[in-house]
Amino acid sequence: MSRLHDMGGRFGNGPIPLHKNENNKVEDNEPTFKYDWHAKAWAVTLAAGALGQWNLDISRHYRECLPPKDYMNYSYYEKWLAALTNLLVDKKLVSLDEIKKFVSLVETNKLDQKSIENINLDPRTWLAKDVQKTLGWGGPSLRSTNQEPIYKIGDDVITLKYNPNKDVKGGHTRLPVYAMGKIGKVYSYNGSHVLPDTNAHGNGENPTPLYTVEFKASELWGSSAENENDLVYLDLWEPYFTLNK
Amino acid sequence: MNSKEHNHSHDDHDHDHAHSHLPSDPELRVKAIETLLLSKGLIDSATLDELIDTYENNIGPQNGAKVVAKAWVDNDYKKRLLEDATSAIRELSYQGRQGENMVVVENTPEIHNVVVCTLCSCYPWPVLGIPPTWYKSDEYRSRTVREPRKVLSEFGLNLDPNVQIKVWDSTAELRYLVLPMRPIGSEDMSEDELAKLVTRNSMIGTGIPEIVK
Repeated sequence: MSRLHDMGGRFGNGPIPLHKNENNKVEDNEPTFKYDWHAKAWAVTLAAGALGQWNLDISRHYRECLPPKDYMNYSYYEKWLAALTNLLVDKKLVSLDEIKKFVSLVETNKLDQKSIENINLDPRTWLAKDVQKTLGWGGPSLRSTNQEPIYKIGDDVITLKYNPNKDVKGGHTRLPVYAMGKIGKVYSYNGSHVLPDTNAHGNGENPTPLYTVEFKASELWGSSAENENDLVYLDLWEPYFTLNK
Repeated sequence: MNSKEHNHSHDDHDHDHAHSHLPSDPELRVKAIETLLLSKGLIDSATLDELIDTYENNIGPQNGAKVVAKAWVDNDYKKRLLEDATSAIRELSYQGRQGENMVVVENTPEIHNVVVCTLCSCYPWPVLGIPPTWYKSDEYRSRTVREPRKVLSEFGLNLDPNVQIKVWDSTAELRYLVLPMRPIGSEDMSEDELAKLVTRNSMIGTGIPEIVK
């Protein structure tokens, strides 16, 4: 079983939420951030992540672990903010009492601006002068190892039937449910990348060969596939599949 | 929070959550967390401003459009782009966060590519910026892998049944950019003029570049 975030192929969702102009053409000019609070939620999440107390896979897993009713009710940046809040407490950067205090201060409009200005910064805090450098470098997941990939391009493979993450119940993985137990073909090999299944739980990077695997739409969706010639590609780590003999 | 509430026997924290103490108004929710972190010196407001300004003004689909236009006018560049997208894109100084490993997939008269992230919202930031709302929606994430033709028709793209669709579900840290076909009638246009035709959606695969008459 999986969690709500793993929604590929799910039934029940309606039309894509698109804005159309007077000529019934889809608008393609959405601003970067629709609301100031979206921009703030996004930027605060990035800045808090830069403190180095968790990695991207951990923060993804925290979003996935939101209770199903919250995951469904929250808009995108509300999910980010809720996951960030839980991370901040779990990683002991803030306490629940501090959160309650600031919630009360902003709700009653009693926040003293002086309490957030000219503060001595923590040594780990991401400085504005370093922003461009850090963004340009990013957080590459490719690692050089001397690990040889087991599979070759063109190999017929079959994915695991269950969540490949055997260490953690309900743990993070990148094999979506819709592609479990399916037959595909290795399309490309992409080098060894940090394995999210362990990295998301603080259990090490474990760089592992990553492949792109091609699946026929008819294999994934049976006779309800829209067109049997259509293909779906997924990026899958080596332990996610075996040779299909 | 007492220790019992956070005594994880395994790593799923499917119980009491700090986020449930936040206000119901999302604006206040952000403000509470932002001001708390500011008061502790864990974030700096100048950094937040710099980040927001960068993605509002410097990093967005205008970058990807330049990559596409260059590939349309320069066959050698296009070859490099399809073989090693990360390096070819870096030639134009676009690189880094959420685009560390780039893959470019080419549309042809026979093949149409479309990109989705069913598990979250993975997207090539250095060339496209922050994803639009529809890309992050449950509707797009759930339906695109199963019924791409129906999804594309909602964007106004009705593909011939003979055109093969390739859906790229970004499940790892590879980030995909679609190289759309150069529109007919653009033969006399300069690289800069061409870049203006390249829309965000055409680089995700939910649109095609068109010459506006």
